[in-house]
Amino acid sequence: MPGNSGGGSGNSSGGGGPCGACKFLRRKCVTGCIFAPYFDSEQGAAHFAAVHKVFGASNVSKLLLHIPVHKRLDAVVTICYEAQARLRDPVYGCVAHIFALQQQVVNLQAELSYLQAHLATLELPSPPLHPPPPVLLTPPTLSIADLPSASTMPATFDLSTLFDPLVQPPWTMQQRQMDFRQLGGSRSTADNPSSSGGGDLQALARELLRRHRSASAPSTDCSPPPLSLSKLD
Amino acid sequence: MISTRCAACKYLRKRCDTDCIFSPYFPSNDPLKFACVHKIFGASNVGKMLKQLPVHHRAEAANSLCFEAQSRIQDPVYGCTGIISLLQQQIYNAQKQLAIARAEIALNAHQAHLQGGSQFQQIEASSSFNNVAAEPLHVDQSFFDPPWLF
Repeated sequence: MPGNSGGGSGNSSGGGGPCGACKFLRRKCVTGCIFAPYFDSEQGAAHFAAVHKVFGASNVSKLLLHIPVHKRLDAVVTICYEAQARLRDPVYGCVAHIFALQQQVVNLQAELSYLQAHLATLELPSPPLHPPPPVLLTPPTLSIADLPSASTMPATFDLSTLFDPLVQPPWTMQQRQMDFRQLGGSRSTADNPSSSGGGDLQALARELLRRHRSASAPSTDCSPPPLSLSKLD
Repeated sequence: MISTRCAACKYLRKRCDTDCIFSPYFPSNDPLKFACVHKIFGASNVGKMLKQLPVHHRAEAANSLCFEAQSRIQDPVYGCTGIISLLQQQIYNAQKQLAIARAEIALNAHQAHLQGGSQFQQIEASSSFNNVAAEPLHVDQSFFDPPWLF
């Protein structure tokens, strides 16, 4: 992963040799090399190779020069991610990931509308409650024009999620089970088999409702805690 | 004869050959599209990437490159990954809402079952069938075996 790697081995001013970028480019690594803080001489060269192939060293250098120093590490990480995604998928690059996520959002919102409609009628759903069949394997039906723009920035940014598998697993019932279990983890639902009586079910449902209502008052502010960049490796 | 150079060749100020790699994907009526990809990726890199692809994939590749480039121009630090983060947040919020909705449905179902049970006991105790329907309540047993709870 790009980033400072102990003792600044990528910093040419300490006599530690060229940074990964200059090593790849076979040029002298001058003092103040813009790439040196982010591409060490060992693994940095491999990461820079991808960046150079997709974006070009000159373009990345210009890009970094226009970014404040304290934001450059984030920029390098995201550029490396996009470069690797493009090499892995020359047609769509990281846009494939965006398509997959957008499809998940659509599916989840459809399911949410379905369940909220049931709640609104205050009826028991008479057929066994099967959520609308998840769209597991259909190809993305979205076009690039449907994708959101980069103009809305999240308040926090969790770069560690970038290095999850690029192709998000299809949205499955099993995944929903896991998510639900995590929410009710303190109740040890894994230890509570489905054959337990209705009282346990009621207690669990009440506990979950209590927990989520108390946590979700500012519903859009609840975000997973961002991880530090040091955890990317 | 009027020159019909593509947007790329107009931008690069060169002649647009009949086999220009850019011309099918960067028409002259959309100069901004090429300007974006040129700024972020560079014309040479874009040309190489398109040439390495089968012809039927090149249009999508050009569009996705344009999208990435525009995202990076709008957000130089995070680019497309800002959008990824936004979508992940939306997924997280939707999952939360789904969990709440499922919990409420389960609770309603259980309460309805309890009410049905107590109603039946009342019928037995009073031995009166005049005002209450005698047909048993049907509750889907799968609600006590929800697939999302273990």
